[in-house]
Amino acid sequence: MKIKLPLLFLAATGAALAAETPAQAIAAPAACAQCQKAAAPADSPSDPSAKALATASAKDGQTFSKDSLYQLDGEFTDDSGRTFTLGELRSHPVVLSLFFASCGYACPLIVTDMLALQDRLPVELRSETRFVLVSFDVNRDTPAALAHYRAERHLDKQWTLLHGNADAVRELAALVGVKYKQEADGMFSHSNLLTVLNKQGEIVHQRIGLTGGLDETAAALVATGK
Amino acid sequence: MNAPPFRLCALAWGWFAVVACGGEFPAARPVVPPDMVQIPAGAYTPLQRAANDTPQVAVASFLLEILPVTNAEFLAFVTAVPKWRRSQVSRLFADATYLGPWTSDLEPGRNAPADAPVVNVSWFAARAYAHWHGRRLPTIAEWEFAAGAGYTSPDGRKDEQLNRDLYAWLARPVPAVLTSVAQGRPNFYGVRDLHGLVWEWVDDFNSAMVTGESRADSGLDRDLFCGAASIGAKDTTDYAAFMRQALRSSLKANNTTTSLGFRCAADLPPAPSSL
Repeated sequence: MKIKLPLLFLAATGAALAAETPAQAIAAPAACAQCQKAAAPADSPSDPSAKALATASAKDGQTFSKDSLYQLDGEFTDDSGRTFTLGELRSHPVVLSLFFASCGYACPLIVTDMLALQDRLPVELRSETRFVLVSFDVNRDTPAALAHYRAERHLDKQWTLLHGNADAVRELAALVGVKYKQEADGMFSHSNLLTVLNKQGEIVHQRIGLTGGLDETAAALVATGK
Repeated sequence: MNAPPFRLCALAWGWFAVVACGGEFPAARPVVPPDMVQIPAGAYTPLQRAANDTPQVAVASFLLEILPVTNAEFLAFVTAVPKWRRSQVSRLFADATYLGPWTSDLEPGRNAPADAPVVNVSWFAARAYAHWHGRRLPTIAEWEFAAGAGYTSPDGRKDEQLNRDLYAWLARPVPAVLTSVAQGRPNFYGVRDLHGLVWEWVDDFNSAMVTGESRADSGLDRDLFCGAASIGAKDTTDYAAFMRQALRSSLKANNTTTSLGFRCAADLPPAPSSL
């Protein structure tokens, strides 16, 4: 007879996706003492005070600015099956969106807008810019599924399609301010956001919603080169 | 929170002794750390459901910390992991009021008593603490399921005392200095302070899509969110649950506030099997 030391219950840290549904329909609750205290302070990602030259270390010893998304050390896999860390996008302007391949409504529109954006960029900037799609659908959007999506949508080598584990995707979504939730039918409810990152991986612009704003987004990309 | 290992061993041996004396092979039962309780499997009825969703979500049995994380416990974390100290944290991961009540990086001070819940922590910081501990944050479904219990039954909606206490808390302003954890009455599962002390982060807070001001920008909302099949609330009487959901949806992951703390959860450990 042998007893295992009870060290095993240092549990896995995987993030379970809660199966809960969005509510746009309900009104905000009435004001009360507690929620006024809890009201979230505004904090712009481009807060100039934090923009200084301060650097933060990443896992692999590279240093990124204090506002750089590339500080996230989550690992992704691209659609060729290669391990990918976001820091590899450094020194490129980036247009990033979260999506899922089987989305029949908003995601195709977002990708179409990103393609339109790619078309309207000046030639030099176009070849420099990376278009990045990260999937919420960690179970179905395998690298192979993403490769299929690339072929279907004729996405060229400027495009990076990423699969990540649930933790990495949730952290990235939290950083860019994207909310998402898997519904019982397997589809995802999600925010529609296009995010522009400068060459350091800092958020410099976001297009919110599905329509318009491409000129501003293109201008933000142009500004990353200045 | 960190029980010294000998206590865990003592627990395991105690259990072993019972087994040995009983002379009967027991149903495998996981060993629960002393600062946690096992929440049984159950079903959670989310506040809002899409038209084609099932009304309930199954919640697997899991472990939940009995108490919110305290200033003393968080101090141990930032002492061990310097990048989470107030002066060193990236603004991306915690905003300017991170650990605001603390006197300095490694000194909680008089406004943050050692045994009071740590507040002014961001989602990233809470998550980093939990992972450092080999644990995780509970999901919305797990937290709400555990918090749905009353003092004496698993269904808190029928617990008049709990509801009186809950709404009294909601009506009270947050005190300048929070009181100690563990003063709240344990609920049916033995968990304390889920209501009545601070709000708590959950792992999937960013799946809550109620926008803060749905009166002003409903046009934008329809455009912002894909999957607008939601039919609204199931149980509109649960005002407190609406408030929690609205708070979650208003937060960004680097936000910190004076009344928002957290506690950790863990998956159920494998039951000891090699007896």
